[in-house]
Amino acid sequence: MTPGKKKLSYSYYPGCSLHASGREYDISTRALFKALNVGLKEVPDWFCCGATPAHNVDELLSLSLCAKNLSLADQVEGDLAVACAACFSRLKTTQHHLKEDATKRKQVEYAIDGPASLNKPVKHILEILAREYGLAKLEESVKKPLMGLKVAAYYGCLLTRPPEVPELDDCEDPSIMEDILRALGAEPVKWSHRMECCGANFTLSRPGVVLKLSNAILESARLAGADCIMVACPLCHGNLDIRQKEIKEAFGAPDSTLFGSIFGSDLPIANTSEDRRDLPIFYITQLAALAMGVASQSLGFESVIIDPKPLLRDKQLL
Amino acid sequence: MSRIGVFVCHCGENISRTVDVERVAKAAGEIPGVAFSCDYKYMCSDPGQSLLKKAVAEHKLDGVLVAACSPRMHEKTFRKATESAGLNPYLCEMANIREHCSWVHEDREKATEKATDIVKLMVERVRKGKSLAPITVPVTKRALVIGGGIAGIQAALDIADAGHRVVLVERDPSIGGHMAQLSETFPTLDCSQCIMTPKMVDVANHPNITLYTYAEIEKVDGYIGNFQVTVKHKARSVDQSKCTGCGVCMTKCPKKKIPNEFDQGHGMRPAIYVPFPQAVPNTPVIDRENCTMFQSGKCGVCAKVCGPGAVDYEQQDSFTVEDVGAIVVATGFKLYTIDRKPDDSPIQGYGEFGYGTIPDVIDGLTFERLASASGPTGGKILRPSDGKEPKQVVFIQCVGSRAREKGISYCSKVCCMYTAKHTMLYHHKVHDGQAYVFFMDARTPGKGYDEFWRRAVEEEEAVYIRGMVSRMYQKGDKIVVMGSDIQVGVQVEIEADLVVLATAVQAQDGADLLAQKLGISYDKYNFYSEAHAKLKPVECATAGIYLAGACQGPKDIPDTVSQASAAAAKVMTLFAKDQLERDPVVAKVNEKYCVGCFACKKVCAYGAIEEKEIRDRQGNLVKKVAYVNPGVCGGCGTCQATCPSKSIELDGYTDEQIMAMIESL
Repeated sequence: MTPGKKKLSYSYYPGCSLHASGREYDISTRALFKALNVGLKEVPDWFCCGATPAHNVDELLSLSLCAKNLSLADQVEGDLAVACAACFSRLKTTQHHLKEDATKRKQVEYAIDGPASLNKPVKHILEILAREYGLAKLEESVKKPLMGLKVAAYYGCLLTRPPEVPELDDCEDPSIMEDILRALGAEPVKWSHRMECCGANFTLSRPGVVLKLSNAILESARLAGADCIMVACPLCHGNLDIRQKEIKEAFGAPDSTLFGSIFGSDLPIANTSEDRRDLPIFYITQLAALAMGVASQSLGFESVIIDPKPLLRDKQLL
Repeated sequence: MSRIGVFVCHCGENISRTVDVERVAKAAGEIPGVAFSCDYKYMCSDPGQSLLKKAVAEHKLDGVLVAACSPRMHEKTFRKATESAGLNPYLCEMANIREHCSWVHEDREKATEKATDIVKLMVERVRKGKSLAPITVPVTKRALVIGGGIAGIQAALDIADAGHRVVLVERDPSIGGHMAQLSETFPTLDCSQCIMTPKMVDVANHPNITLYTYAEIEKVDGYIGNFQVTVKHKARSVDQSKCTGCGVCMTKCPKKKIPNEFDQGHGMRPAIYVPFPQAVPNTPVIDRENCTMFQSGKCGVCAKVCGPGAVDYEQQDSFTVEDVGAIVVATGFKLYTIDRKPDDSPIQGYGEFGYGTIPDVIDGLTFERLASASGPTGGKILRPSDGKEPKQVVFIQCVGSRAREKGISYCSKVCCMYTAKHTMLYHHKVHDGQAYVFFMDARTPGKGYDEFWRRAVEEEEAVYIRGMVSRMYQKGDKIVVMGSDIQVGVQVEIEADLVVLATAVQAQDGADLLAQKLGISYDKYNFYSEAHAKLKPVECATAGIYLAGACQGPKDIPDTVSQASAAAAKVMTLFAKDQLERDPVVAKVNEKYCVGCFACKKVCAYGAIEEKEIRDRQGNLVKKVAYVNPGVCGGCGTCQATCPSKSIELDGYTDEQIMAMIESL
């Protein structure tokens, strides 16, 4: 963090998703930082953090990929800003493990042929907004408050867990997203499934699991009266947005069992409510940028499946 | 030339594993002035001590050095042995080659060298040591007991029954503590009030017990046998000497809707109140923050209706100083009650359980009040939100306890048993209800305990699910409990009407501040530390202060009562003597060189230094010098380090001894 009155400025690790399926997260992050007059400089020559596949296959490979990216990030001034929850988790986990395990650190440093950069502060966009830019200043900077927008803030698995690694907020009962939403003038709803898993990578190998889990999340948000869901992870976005229509088809019939057993059970998991309305899925940066008065055309709304524009028009935010 | 004997102990393998004790003994034998040296497996054992005594006689030793453990462990043992060998006990010293050497090092070569050095310098200390005579101080045979729960009550009654006077100080308006809140007690299911209230009455009626309720410890001065304790009597606003306990004030008080702390906030009480009908003393207090008279000056109903005129709005906090010889600390515990992590606490909250936000998620003590005949529901199990009888109750054990990631790693010890008890009480009262228990382990050591738990499972139909709960949320009027059953390997969801959390037992609020006043130590959880985990479980490291009950660590009632009686026995042992012998390690002033600057007086933490006038034969004042009251001196040596003219010295740690020790290296 840059202290004092100097302009806040960060190095930036977008990660693969933000250059592909989560393009709108990248676009809106850049737009938001520009609107807030916060510097954002992409790490040159960065590559994949390894995500879930790497650490499932080879821990050393996973750590080395992140360590190399961190040492690349060291060449750019400013703390490292990360938007993707998985990249954030991997980079923080790498620092955590290598700080505690000297042997692994030596192996990784041998693999990347250089020192592992363990002290480069890695910050998620959420903490940059809430703590470093600051909630008060964020509230001041709002040009178009998100009045009347009821948002289900969805954290997913990786932003706050495991304990002591991400250092973002309370591990099981965080509030940072809700705090930001309130600063933006929106109304965060109280709901039950904000920390549950969406099914994540099973979206490719066992989509049935994802449909079940994501359905429970969508239903819980509808029950709580949310207009939309806010995420900070491109994979969660994918599961909740891209698969939403499929989920609707799979769990169309109302059923008394809302959230049955997840594994090993053939209980149907379906909704109780007749209400099967579409829930637009927003990235935190899209909502924040919108509140800062950034033109909606430059926030990537056209590249999502569930069109958020009717909702935004309805709330007079477009 | 001195004749010192050096005895190097193996401490089984504790020392010899890392230190070559034979080499240390051999090296010690070569130090000039050492007449004898040897090593032995257990110096503290009977043959070890005989070896020491025999060597003193055979080799005509005039000083003894035992290289073994910390002097805090066995200095007394070896000084006694030295004394029975005919030497002054203060000519025996210990070289600590266990805690300070073998336990903290791995390299045998270097550890042996270090042990040899420690022995070398301690030999110098023995060589320059002097014979000292123990100091005797009188013992005030009156004890202070802090805390009026079952621990404090038991300790006070035992000491008082032995014929000694006791002052019992309780922070709340009544004695009784947490035990008075309980419904039934495990493992016999006898009513807590029935066994507790007679003891409370005994305290009130005992001729040897002075009971101060609604009072706190303000300040503690003095030392073993001679403490001066300042007690703050909080203003009750009711004159205890006039009040008859008729209770009219409470029935007439217009402000009646204040959550009663005794019922965990679920019952209501007036602003002038006794916490519960069986309170001892039965004298009400006015809760000034909620009293209309104190807040707006317009009411005064209680004063008007009080026949004896006991209500006194002008009453102020008052203070008394109590002279006591021993202190029993029995301040008990509190239950973990945080939902979110407070900023200043290392302990995480349980926001994911909705604790504090979902009204039907309650803690174990609240369930006790719901199940208690004297509780807010008259003993019916009714849930707080809508007063309905819950048909599905989920109990969750280990909330906060054994959860390192949440900041508490210890086991709270009582929860397995009281949860089993809760399921039984629930089953007895709601026949068509179902109790579920999420547990990590069932820990039931204790007489009749495991049988009790088995009864809950096998006869009283509680469903025990091994696994933890991850999350709870309100859905309509139900609470959805999401957990895992690790024995079957499935996720479980239960729609409960009521959830009872067996939350961790924690040290009382302000336990650390009281410890600082008393000068006793506490652990990172603010539980008070005993002097030795196994051999001195009720003594504090500070002489004359003893521990009883859950203030030392989570404890159930049988353990608490045992410890309280043990603490009382320790107090009685102390009171069996009229005079107390103290270690003569105190500062002495060389009056010839003292210039009377009193720099020592300023730095003395014990207030042991007085001004003394030196007069000539005609009675003219020659000069003022410092004088150390040996009864008060704590032997810390700060005065010695401060004195500019080097005219104050601590016996056993004289400049000469310390310089010789440094030079020996």
